[in-house]
Amino acid sequence: MYIYDDVDQKLVEQRVAQFRGQTQRFLKGQLTEEEFRVLRLQNGLYIQRHAPMLRIAIPYGMLTSKQLRALAYVARRWDRGYGHLTTRQNIQFNWLRLEDAPDVLAKLATVQMHAIQTSGNCIRNTTTDHFAGVAADELINPLVWCEIIRQWSMLHPEFAFLPRKFKIAVSGSMTDRAAVGVHDIGLQAVESNGIFGFRVFVGGGLGRTPIVGKLIKPFVAWHDLLTYLQATLRVYNLHGRRDNKYKARIKILVKDLTPEVFANEVDAQWQLIKGGPDTVSEAFVKSIAGKFKWPEYELNTEISDTFYFSRLSADTQFNRWSRSNFHPHKVSGYAAVTISLKATGAPPGDISADQMDAVADLAEKYGFGELRISHEQNIIMPDVRKSDLYMLWQELQLLSLATPNIGFITDIIACPGGDYCSLANAVTIPIAEAIQNRFSDLDYIYDIGELDLNLSGCMNSCGHHHIGHIGILGVDKAGEEWYQITIGGRQSGALGHHPNHDLDQGLDQGLDHSGLATNGLATDSTSAAIGRVIGPSFAREQIPDVISRLINTYLRLRDSEEERFVDAVHRLGIEPFKKDVYADPLLSKPLTLSKETYV
Amino acid sequence: MFEVIPRLLRNGQIELNETLLFEAGDEINNYSTVPPDQKHWMMRLDVWLEKRELLLNRKFPVGILISSDTDLAATLGKQGDLLQSPLFKTTEVAFIAIDFPSYTDGRGYSLAQLVKSIYGWHGELRAVGDVMIDTVFYMARCGFDSFLIKEGHDPLLALEALGTFTEQYQKSYKLPGAADS
Repeated sequence: MYIYDDVDQKLVEQRVAQFRGQTQRFLKGQLTEEEFRVLRLQNGLYIQRHAPMLRIAIPYGMLTSKQLRALAYVARRWDRGYGHLTTRQNIQFNWLRLEDAPDVLAKLATVQMHAIQTSGNCIRNTTTDHFAGVAADELINPLVWCEIIRQWSMLHPEFAFLPRKFKIAVSGSMTDRAAVGVHDIGLQAVESNGIFGFRVFVGGGLGRTPIVGKLIKPFVAWHDLLTYLQATLRVYNLHGRRDNKYKARIKILVKDLTPEVFANEVDAQWQLIKGGPDTVSEAFVKSIAGKFKWPEYELNTEISDTFYFSRLSADTQFNRWSRSNFHPHKVSGYAAVTISLKATGAPPGDISADQMDAVADLAEKYGFGELRISHEQNIIMPDVRKSDLYMLWQELQLLSLATPNIGFITDIIACPGGDYCSLANAVTIPIAEAIQNRFSDLDYIYDIGELDLNLSGCMNSCGHHHIGHIGILGVDKAGEEWYQITIGGRQSGALGHHPNHDLDQGLDQGLDHSGLATNGLATDSTSAAIGRVIGPSFAREQIPDVISRLINTYLRLRDSEEERFVDAVHRLGIEPFKKDVYADPLLSKPLTLSKETYV
Repeated sequence: MFEVIPRLLRNGQIELNETLLFEAGDEINNYSTVPPDQKHWMMRLDVWLEKRELLLNRKFPVGILISSDTDLAATLGKQGDLLQSPLFKTTEVAFIAIDFPSYTDGRGYSLAQLVKSIYGWHGELRAVGDVMIDTVFYMARCGFDSFLIKEGHDPLLALEALGTFTEQYQKSYKLPGAADS
């Protein structure tokens, strides 16, 4: 965990004081609504359907038990006893009072947390792999680089009023779990001639115009990272469109200029500042790495594995959970564990204050008091001894946090939807629940295999539906809620994205991947894909049947159990799926009614 | 037409804004092509560039106003040309002002960086337009050293706001009041 020094602490405290003053001026009528709007957004405060919503950053997904307890405190004292984890490693509270916001932020500052730039047209919270620092297949530790980017981007004086929001994601592994292809800037660690650096993808994004990012720089050496980012942002800030909010993201600029011209513009700006004061020195990287408190692992693990394996064969339910919620760790004898926040009936990503406290306790009991938040809206316990997994699982069961569905169809990514969000066209939470109820047989969902089902309540795509293997989008047609289905989306390349359920494979794979990287033969790890619409939209009640038919088609046509749903869609195209869905007279019925939503 | 309430933050003081924007061919200016050699005149960048030869050796150099949509590279030429003969000399230019048509239009921050660090302007750099108490700190870090605070915003509070943060992460943007490196 990164521990704030005096400078870090002062900055968040001074930011709270600044926002307190701004809120007071607004409440006294000294700041207009319009003047205050962006100031509050840049402090995470939205005006929502029921009340202001506060979005708090969990930088690169890292969280301590102490911080999680503070979030539980916030949930109880100022909200309604729960929070919602977002797809961008943030947590949201939906029922706050504006007057309380400065106090909430002051409380967060005491545990080294903030809501700075979690909203607004600025550089947002930088996200990464939720297994960062513990994954077996890492080339570099992205946590250190994310912290360097956090500091560089936080309170950046030049880029606080960009044409539109700006999101950066970093992947340090060869398996991209950070979805770098669908961010304004995606950074993929690579090695070249013995120096490590980053491949820079620009202009990816979801929303109204989903586009996969373009590789504009195959290699930026680590010491040049910040000046290169600065040059990229400067080109965007000066030339990005400001006349139309829907054409203001950097992806439109890259498309309009062409990636080649954009890359040249960036390069021209970069030459002017390359080697300047924001060049990263080795001493600086070391000082940042040195401010992290790194786990002190026990290296004698032979006994622990024996107990773990005996439990695996003795207890089927534990075996299931372990297969699905376990991720290999770089240190032998340890595992990373995903706590599913996707139990049937609970809004995806929601966590109660009591669960927060309990998870905080467990992280101390079975780890180093550290947690991670995934963009799939789950919580990771990154450093669990294998010998402790069985006890941990038993405790999680008591908390209803042991759902064994990570990476499967019921591990649904969803935005809060029309129940909370004023932008949404349609509800999402009841849809997620209906699908989870339909797919309640664990053996069946394991047979279906890895499947990302993502659900957004509107075109803003907070539920990442474009990159779901199956995506569901709420659309509005004459004031009614309809749902459009896409298939074949994926957040990263087909290679290496399989959840690693085999315990012994993990480390070997990691070495293989590092080997690939050093040879410069990196796989195209950002081959994210945007899903294709299968046809006219459906009514809410039809969705579970539509999903069932898609799954039946897949199960009938897959070439083996190894072929995932998304791979089958890419091999076969969407036609057979489409045909089967609309062959059902009940599902094809609203075909003419909702033609205009078929885009 | 003259302002009576001081709202120009400059050198740690709050001054009266007496600047006049020269519009070529304006009746008020007797249809002259350049402003009279008196204090307080400011010209748009394109007009100034066009009339530059007529503005040499003035007793009172004019200020230059840069709008937020200016493409500096296209207007001023690439850096190479400029380094050989700096365009903006403090003997010829009183100050450079960059306009913020709306505080959410952040182009002025990058323009300021370019004017200062790339085009080598060392004189007064003024933020004008939708300049708020809440934006002067970032503006100062990007190189502005004077600020025409918008009406309705207390210039005294804006002066205080230059001290909002006492620390910084980005090394190439100095804190307000810090010496040029």
